[in-house]
Amino acid sequence: MKHLLLIFFLTLSVPSALSAFAQGRTVTGVVTSEADGSPLPGVSVLLKGTTTGVTTGLDGNYQLTVPVQGGTLVFRYIGFQIREVEIGSQSTINVSLASDEKLLKEVVVTGYGEQDRKTLTSAQTSVSSEEIANLPAASSDQLLQGRAAGVQVASNTGTPGGGVFVRVRGSSSINGSSDPLYVVDGVPIQANNLSGIDLGGGTTSPIADINPADIESMEILKDASATAIYGARAANGVVLITTKRGSSGKAKVSLGMYTGIQNAPRLPDVVDGPTYERLMNEAFINNGKAPKYANPDGAISTDWADAVFRTGKISNYDLSVSGGTDKVHYLVSANHFNQEGVMIGSDFKRNTARVNLDFYPVDKLKVGTSILYSRNERNRLRNDDNISGAMPGTFAFPANLPYYKPDGSYTKFSIFENPIAAVKESDIQMSTNRFLGSVFAEYEITNGLRLRSSFSLDNSTVLEDLYDNTLLNNGAGTNGFGLSLATQNDNWIQENVLSYEFARNEHSFNVLLGTTLQESAFSMTQAVGEQFPSNDFRKITSAAVQRSSSNASSWGIASFFTRIGYDYKDKYLATINVRRDASSRFGADNRWGTFPSVALGWVVSEEAFFEPMPDFVGDVKIRASYGITGNQSGISDFQALGLWGGSSAYADIPGVSPVQLANPDLKWETTAQTDIGLDLGLFNNRVNIIADYYVKKTSDLLLAVPLPRTSGFNSLVQNYGALENKGFELAVIADVIKSEDFTWNANFNIASNKNKVTKLAAPFNVYNRDLFRYEEGYPLYSFYFHEQTGVDPATGDIQFADVDGDGEFDPNVDRKIVGDANPDFFGGFTNTLNYKAFDLSFFLQYSYGNDQLNWNRFFSEHGGVRDFNFMKSQLDRWQKPGDVTMVPKMTAANYAGNLRPSRFLEDGSYMRLKNISLGYTLPQALVSKVGISRARVYITGQNVFTVTKYTGLDPELTGIGDNPLAQGIEFYSLPQPRVFMGGFNLSF
Amino acid sequence: MNIYRRFIEAAEKLKRKTAKENYTLRLAYLAGVLCLAGAMSSCEVLDQEPQAEVSEDIAISNKKGAQAALAGLYDQLQSGNYYGSNLLIMGDISSDVAQSIGTWDFYREMDTYLIDKSNLETGNFWTRAYRAINVANNIIEQVPPLADITEEEKNKIIGQAYLVRGLAYFDLTKVFGGVPGVVGTLGVPIITKPSRKVDESFFPSRASLEESYGQVESDLLTALEMLPEAHQTDLLTRSQAVKGTARALLSRLYLYLGKPEQAITYADAIIADPKYSLVASFANIFSSKFTTEAIFELNFNSADQSGINNWYYPSSLGGRGDIMAHTSFYEEATADPNDVRGKMFGYYQSKDVHYPTKYGKTSAIDNIQIIRLGEVYLNRAEARAKTGDVDGALADLNTIRQRAGIAPIEGLTDAQEALRAIWHERKLELAFEGHSFFDLVRTGQALNELTGIPRTNGPDVNLADPARQVFPIPAFDMDANKNLVQNEAYK
Repeated sequence: MKHLLLIFFLTLSVPSALSAFAQGRTVTGVVTSEADGSPLPGVSVLLKGTTTGVTTGLDGNYQLTVPVQGGTLVFRYIGFQIREVEIGSQSTINVSLASDEKLLKEVVVTGYGEQDRKTLTSAQTSVSSEEIANLPAASSDQLLQGRAAGVQVASNTGTPGGGVFVRVRGSSSINGSSDPLYVVDGVPIQANNLSGIDLGGGTTSPIADINPADIESMEILKDASATAIYGARAANGVVLITTKRGSSGKAKVSLGMYTGIQNAPRLPDVVDGPTYERLMNEAFINNGKAPKYANPDGAISTDWADAVFRTGKISNYDLSVSGGTDKVHYLVSANHFNQEGVMIGSDFKRNTARVNLDFYPVDKLKVGTSILYSRNERNRLRNDDNISGAMPGTFAFPANLPYYKPDGSYTKFSIFENPIAAVKESDIQMSTNRFLGSVFAEYEITNGLRLRSSFSLDNSTVLEDLYDNTLLNNGAGTNGFGLSLATQNDNWIQENVLSYEFARNEHSFNVLLGTTLQESAFSMTQAVGEQFPSNDFRKITSAAVQRSSSNASSWGIASFFTRIGYDYKDKYLATINVRRDASSRFGADNRWGTFPSVALGWVVSEEAFFEPMPDFVGDVKIRASYGITGNQSGISDFQALGLWGGSSAYADIPGVSPVQLANPDLKWETTAQTDIGLDLGLFNNRVNIIADYYVKKTSDLLLAVPLPRTSGFNSLVQNYGALENKGFELAVIADVIKSEDFTWNANFNIASNKNKVTKLAAPFNVYNRDLFRYEEGYPLYSFYFHEQTGVDPATGDIQFADVDGDGEFDPNVDRKIVGDANPDFFGGFTNTLNYKAFDLSFFLQYSYGNDQLNWNRFFSEHGGVRDFNFMKSQLDRWQKPGDVTMVPKMTAANYAGNLRPSRFLEDGSYMRLKNISLGYTLPQALVSKVGISRARVYITGQNVFTVTKYTGLDPELTGIGDNPLAQGIEFYSLPQPRVFMGGFNLSF
Repeated sequence: MNIYRRFIEAAEKLKRKTAKENYTLRLAYLAGVLCLAGAMSSCEVLDQEPQAEVSEDIAISNKKGAQAALAGLYDQLQSGNYYGSNLLIMGDISSDVAQSIGTWDFYREMDTYLIDKSNLETGNFWTRAYRAINVANNIIEQVPPLADITEEEKNKIIGQAYLVRGLAYFDLTKVFGGVPGVVGTLGVPIITKPSRKVDESFFPSRASLEESYGQVESDLLTALEMLPEAHQTDLLTRSQAVKGTARALLSRLYLYLGKPEQAITYADAIIADPKYSLVASFANIFSSKFTTEAIFELNFNSADQSGINNWYYPSSLGGRGDIMAHTSFYEEATADPNDVRGKMFGYYQSKDVHYPTKYGKTSAIDNIQIIRLGEVYLNRAEARAKTGDVDGALADLNTIRQRAGIAPIEGLTDAQEALRAIWHERKLELAFEGHSFFDLVRTGQALNELTGIPRTNGPDVNLADPARQVFPIPAFDMDANKNLVQNEAYK
């Protein structure tokens, strides 16, 4: 198969197949703006019906070789109306273009195609390169935050390059993944965390392999009409990432650079040494014991956070060269990004190179490549749910202990690692090499009928090395501990798409037929070493005790798909999608699934009866869609089979034991989505409103249905259970002010999503201490706690709700769901202002009504039952009769180990000035003297301030990365950094 | 495949139409080839085989598979959820031997008698014990029909499966069921068939306490019948079940069932067995591996990792240091300065507490004593005292005391006093080996002994509620199986 493909593409590129282009004559001219007569650079000038074309230069000039006779030139420029001019016998054709103010005329990328937004029947949001340019984010998925209505983005950690939580219209699965499908230049990419070392749950984002500056646009496909073309993997929405490509014209060189600093906006809020000792004494006295410390006033005060947090540097360099002739369009780019985390020892570095080429070897044929090579290096830390992490140590180490013992060695305390040792001694590195490349050929068989074939590879190699020396707790017991891991993920995808566009009278059709084959193979090799000769030896070859293992798995998917789009007079629109997918993950009888969708659109404003409407109403379109999509992710590659695994040795005797029960009936998870939308233009379409209401019902959930464990199994993955997401989305995009010198564009979005589990075999609890409960009638990420009603002002004892009403509180039964991590609504507000050469943009992002669990506080507001440092919130404890507080008297009973008081569940609502940027474009007259066409300098602040009642480090931290069912919990994760930086962009 | 046919047809049509244009022809041709290739490989793409696992149907299909499943069975016992550490800690922390000083609330709940049905470690033990039972059930059902194994070999394998299943039911019953005549009337669900397809058998009720112990007894007796006296090597004889293992566990079982005569019978057989003898140095039982004392010693290498060292050793020594000795117990154990067992402690200076050093190997390769000769002597001593043979009881007791380097107890005539002395000895001898709480419950001492226990980081604790002498049935199974009834204290 692969050989045949290779032959195919080799053959395509054989130059002998190319026929020489006929000699012709030359046409020249200037393209200007009709409004002010200014020259327009970058206008595409194309000989109609061919791929012969150029783009205008800086002064609006163009020159094009055309056939001796006849021909028509087509002038296209974003934001302007297309103009066609017959050449006739002219040799100079000067053209002025009228601006096109209609937003609905923009062309957007869709699944396997592009479409005029005006005739779009689906719900999808575009995020343009301008919106996300020059923002200090390691990973592009972070950049979607607050930009698109209904797309919820949060971070699992502020660690650079760390995992990101992205939900399009809510979570539609429990055990399956709820992450959207990422498609880069038409290739569904591998987007799972590939790190094999568990450092406490922190994950890494594979989207960080892509250079944000390469991105031309991101499209978020939300409703079933938009996503169904991706069938079995589309239930969680699809993010289409399109990278920049070259266009005809002289080479354009862009150079961008920014550099800045970043720090943690909040640090652990812990007490000082004397306070620690006084509080401990109070607890001891309350428990009827003698005070632990004789002289609290004489205690030292150590600031642990100060020793491990830092002001990190961030810098980014981008260089790209693009351009083309009528035969070749090219873009090459390189990127270097370097981010130091806010804690010592956490770094992310990315180097990428991209080559995007388009060749037009002969008439009607286009072949091209999109190639990304990316290399990332991460220095990682243990943190999150890990007692050896620096963050846990920073919270836990009492302030009355010094950094070091008198002999210079690290102070040790309890089960935790000395934070300084954790950041300085631990050596955890991860490097990722990723090749993401495709070759394609597109041929216009006859007018409007095109065949496109592509072959793509997405290969990642991740190398991880961990070494714990003997100064660390982890290494002390084993005289040094080394772990080395190589993970390989290989994907290939072959796609063929036949598309046909045609019109009969006023009926326009576009029809698409396609096939896809994809195969994905994963392999992992691991080596572990213990007993090292000294701390200078870090490689496992030096270890006296060595162990190793390897593992491999694979899956494949084969698909057919079709789409029929229809419109009548741009007024009545319809789209039908059908995709059939077969996945190797399911039993042979259940491999194939069909995913249809249908959408209708009505452009009301085109109707004659609309004429009498007042002038301020512009374009109006009503959309409705219904469709079914699937989800096959989140289960193992062989989930349908009853398996025994081999990793059950008894000392030196190899052993096997059951891994999972068989379920030959296993099939896709299915999501049926209904969407009703309204696109409304007001005031000459200067204000555009896009509103959607949707209902997503997911059934046949791929659910690990709990089994009585007396069976020897915890669960069986079944198609059982259902959940639904209902919500509305509203986006308002307005040119508030539009004058020659001053423009103000505002983009506001808000979305609400209500999520509910509608069918479940039995309720089940997840995460340590059963903090989350999944139960019918409740949303995902519901918190399961003892509802604390207060503290008895007379005695200082903690008071809980008596759930079963039997008159007394019993921790075993009086526990209930007291909230959930889902926001009532969330969104973003972007403002872009231009005044002459100055530009200012600020971007607010918000979430309201979500509960956030401050789990750090649970451990540090311990009332003396633990011996680690207190958070300052402990100072609010009840001390004397009459005190009104939620923090009970410091006795062992009030802080007993079986209590899960709900007071640690806080209001997680927040509004954050995510980004503010001020730029100045240098006068053209000045920079053109040194050959620069455009020069802009700017300063930017990220996460500048946050308004919230939440008392933890960062309300945005959502989860323990490796447990997707536990969201809305902050647990020893690094906060999002606050970044201040400056930079410039130059183009030549 | 219709689409491919259409592609080919379209290509052929083109071929006719544009025959003059060479490249178009080529493209059309290749498009056809491509489609065919695609059609062929679509099957390949969908045919993926697991590489690290095998189908349940072929797991136990020959001798090698049966032996591997047997190793997989012992691997369940090795788990940190079971004998690897958890069950041992449960037995000592619920007593006045070990205490929780760390962050791990689940052991603190046990330590302070506030255990909750959501307690993670209780659930872990339940889960793992039943996993062991499922593996055993698979072996018991699937090995008999195998063709490439001799009868003798089959008995050896199946006998071991019966023994481990009996042990698992024993542990489950004492933890969740109770002790006849002391606490509890319900035992645990009895599963004797492999779990394959979810049906009613997946949702069992609890057997009565008598039925539960009856299952233990019958499994151990079946094992005794089928097992050999020894395996090929001494290491295997002590690290896997043989007749001696069954006898030793039976001597323990009959103490729970109040049948001292039978306990004596099986203890006699062990003590008379030349394979087993007390080692002179008490510390050697733990610092070496497979001494003559070992009857059933779980074998750990660096790949298995017994986690118990991690819980008891302070962080400066690479452990987690969550669980320490109760200071009151340390004082009790060191009261006699000659007692070698009192030397088996380390001092955790920054916390001012002591920790046991029975599990002191680096790289977590400490073996675990599931049953050893020292216990069997004490089992017989207790059984003898119960039958009124005080002299015989003291003789066994003093054998153990002598080895510990302390003076024998002489001149006792009262059986109750002898029992108290034996029970006290048991506590010292078997400390941190997971016996204490279950011994206290079994002997009816728990409610008296477990009061006013001072803790390092909290007030004194008491076991006040008699119904808390058993652990709660884990919440996840209460949720998943409506046929289960919760223990009284946790309703």
